[in-house]
Amino acid sequence: MTSDQKTTVLLLDDEPIVCKRLKPSLEKAGYDVEAFTKSREAMHRLTEKEFDIAITDLKMDGMDGMAFLTEVKKRHPATEVIVITGFATMETAKESYQKGVFDFVAKPFKLGEILEVVKKAEAKHRPS
Amino acid sequence: MIDEMMRFIRGMKNYLKQYRNLETEYPFAKLFKKFQNILAANNASLELIADMGDKLSGEYVFDRQYILSTYDNLKNQIYRLIFDLNTLAPGKYVRLFDVFEEIHDTIQQAISGKWVLPQGDAAMPYSELSQDMYELVGNKNANLAEIRNTLELSTPDGFAITTSAFRAFLEKNGLDEYLQKMMASWDPEDEAATEKIAADIQNQFLCGGFPLEVTRQIQGAIEKLQEKSPKEALFFAVRSSAWGEDSIHSFAGQYKTFLNVPADQLLDSYRKVLASAYSPGVLSYRYQKGFHIHELAMSVGCQAMVKAKASGVIYTLDTLSAGKDVLQATAAWGLGAPVVDGSVAADQYRITRTPPHTLSGFNVVHKSTMMVAAKNGGTAVTPVPEELQQKACLTPELAQKLAETALLIERYFKRPQDIEWAIDSQDRVMILQARPLNIQLPAGCPKDQIDISAADHPVLFKNQGVVVQRGVAAGKVFVLENNADILNVPYGAILVARHTSPRLARVMRKVHGILTDVGSPMGHMATIAREFRVPAIVNTGFATQILKTGDEITLDATQNIVYAGYAKELCYDEITAEDVFEESYEYRLLRRILRKISPLNLLDPHDKNFRPSGCKTVHDIIRFIHEKAVKELIHLGDTRIGGSDAASRRLKFGIPLGLVVIDIGGGVLARSASAKDMSPEDITSVPMKAFLEGLTAPGMWSTEPMSVDFGSFMSSLTRTFSDSSTRFSGRNLAVLSAEYLDLNLRLGYHYNIIDAYIAEKQNDNYAYFRFLGGVTDVTRRSRRARFIGEVLERFNFRVEIRGDLVVGRIKKLDPAAMYEKVKMLGCLVAYTRQLDVQMHSDENIADHITDFFKGATNHDIGSENNRITSG
Repeated sequence: MTSDQKTTVLLLDDEPIVCKRLKPSLEKAGYDVEAFTKSREAMHRLTEKEFDIAITDLKMDGMDGMAFLTEVKKRHPATEVIVITGFATMETAKESYQKGVFDFVAKPFKLGEILEVVKKAEAKHRPS
Repeated sequence: MIDEMMRFIRGMKNYLKQYRNLETEYPFAKLFKKFQNILAANNASLELIADMGDKLSGEYVFDRQYILSTYDNLKNQIYRLIFDLNTLAPGKYVRLFDVFEEIHDTIQQAISGKWVLPQGDAAMPYSELSQDMYELVGNKNANLAEIRNTLELSTPDGFAITTSAFRAFLEKNGLDEYLQKMMASWDPEDEAATEKIAADIQNQFLCGGFPLEVTRQIQGAIEKLQEKSPKEALFFAVRSSAWGEDSIHSFAGQYKTFLNVPADQLLDSYRKVLASAYSPGVLSYRYQKGFHIHELAMSVGCQAMVKAKASGVIYTLDTLSAGKDVLQATAAWGLGAPVVDGSVAADQYRITRTPPHTLSGFNVVHKSTMMVAAKNGGTAVTPVPEELQQKACLTPELAQKLAETALLIERYFKRPQDIEWAIDSQDRVMILQARPLNIQLPAGCPKDQIDISAADHPVLFKNQGVVVQRGVAAGKVFVLENNADILNVPYGAILVARHTSPRLARVMRKVHGILTDVGSPMGHMATIAREFRVPAIVNTGFATQILKTGDEITLDATQNIVYAGYAKELCYDEITAEDVFEESYEYRLLRRILRKISPLNLLDPHDKNFRPSGCKTVHDIIRFIHEKAVKELIHLGDTRIGGSDAASRRLKFGIPLGLVVIDIGGGVLARSASAKDMSPEDITSVPMKAFLEGLTAPGMWSTEPMSVDFGSFMSSLTRTFSDSSTRFSGRNLAVLSAEYLDLNLRLGYHYNIIDAYIAEKQNDNYAYFRFLGGVTDVTRRSRRARFIGEVLERFNFRVEIRGDLVVGRIKKLDPAAMYEKVKMLGCLVAYTRQLDVQMHSDENIADHITDFFKGATNHDIGSENNRITSG
């Protein structure tokens, strides 16, 4: 990492497999990752900590990702949000961008792909 | 769900019935539209299947939703295919609905998480088991079956008595309620009470009777084995294989194993193994770990006894200092049981993990006694013959072979392994059981420092090409210079080749990793690499230029990086990762449903099984429909000739193709509309012009003198070509429009299909080539398929080869480039005509490729990226 402090990432997806695969891969790349499968818990965590980057699914049981990302941006405007979704439509993409989302990645994605996006978000978040 | 589908199917069937009466009124152009729909759905389904297969590489993050929606999509395509075929040939193939419904049911069950135990399968031979069946046969049996059936290593013959037999046994003896009652009254802290309860339960098991069906099936399994060696009395090793055993809670050694059990005492031993699951020790262990009694389902493995010269255990890592990079083996003469429980003196060996796996240390002890199989069953401890007492049980060669085998298993399961093995009378390494070795990360190498230690190694290149199978391998490079070299690929090499090729499949068990300059993640080689879980990256562009034979490298196909030197930490990281992707629910689910989707069984349209009921998988259905759709279309062409809606004429030109052309719009000059025959000049269809240009290119249609067996070849050609007695009897048919060509050719022994579309909009353009042979001997057939596959790959087609079926696809090229591709296909069709008779040896393939490219280059058709200069 460029600085002493690792870049922090919050990861929210109600499919455990996504967290299970993404978390170690991001950690290996040097990020400090907290993963959640329940949006309520992720939401609660936001009240305690500001993350550099948030990665969230759009369509989940219980709460939709759109509401979550709105909340993230409201609370911590500096947090870069990356949306991952299996139901990409023009509308949701448009809405996400209007809410200030950094990027939109369709599921399934390659691990390399998402790492690229996270790297770019990191560069934007803390310009060297 | 099922009801809904039944209603849907009934509706479809009724709807289709009305077509039966309308047949004659349907205009050809409209029916042809149906045919085009079929081609579109055919391509779409094959792409979905390839896409799902690709997801198994580990390179993607996908979730259950992906599996659901992709399968849903596929299912709709299949319905569409069946529906359209039944419109084309009214009601003729309605049976396909039922066939697909059956396949769909199985897939649906897997998706909904139901694992319906196959009825009546109380005993199943190892040859029919796979890792997915662990619920039925327990982890130990399932893993052993995978080692035998997928890795093709030697394991003892035998069968599993399944958990459904266990359930039937419980039910027959009322043991379910009995166990509930006993457990309810049990105080786990009271040792004396535990002893008493365990003794009571075990007694119930030992006195239990067997359901007739279970006895009958076990007896049947024994008889089948006996047939293989009718003269020898059968003896078995009877081992437990319970749910959860050999997972993180190993229950190691807590269940009983019986050795050298005579066939007529097998049922007794089986009962004893079941009873051992209720010993005081196991009851307490299960209580401590929080297992419920109903979570126990016991399967048992019955393996034919191996006549072991020596036996032992091998760990793929050193349990004391895992960083030492050695395997650890113990060995004794005779049977291995005393080595496992430590009751005899045994040799110790340390073997390097890096090929060629030399002995880095050993301690040969004095071995005075050994366990042997007693003549009438059971085991006996006897003195070791004088001359063997001081002798090492493992020669360096055997140690090497053992290490190779153990590491193959480790790589496959992506975990360090604890393996019981035996050396049989023919010096073969037999695997008796394998389970994950619970071990800590190599000392001094905590997780977050792994990248740092890898950073000591220079990166040769990264993020080049496409990952076919994730994983890490360290080894010496072997650059494949030419085809013959394939025989010289050393064990443990990282194979570096110009192209992906099905022939690389031959060395898949030997190599530790694969890199290619060119190639696709969808081909045959990729499938095999995934099957064996060999780390592989294709399409790197320049691997053969950067790497030289003998270079020591680490291929990290997980992060898509190639390092100079051996980054051992990375390899350890791979086998100690927290979660193994291949063990995730999603991976197993996808793999499980793909078994009902992607294998292709229907290869030969002339086989008597080539009918709806012969379709075992979705791929079979797709293949069947495509074949029949072409046949039906030709039939329509035959019967509708002279009608007002399609112009069908013979194409006359220099090459005797006997080609009938049906124009469905703008594919032929209007002036020729009334003539009976037409000439190539009359063709305006762009893809047809391209094809004819290639077909008639000088030098491609061989005029070489014919070799001896050319005679029979020629006779088959003439049969097709000169059969003029019936006007449209030939199978050679071209349906075309201004931008479209669908060509069905039977040429000598082959059957070619070319389907192409060339217009201005780049995204719509595609070419599909299918080649199916037959008749000649298998070796020649596969050579021919390899030749065609390689040519297509070099022209950047996406290639799939299955048996003698070669399919190449390319799409989304601009019109000029697509024209070149179709022209090349014309050349290829002309060229392959000679192949049946000339493929005498493997070397011929390279010669023919050189020859073909020479010809093609003369006609300005190079494969733009990969023009080759020599074979």
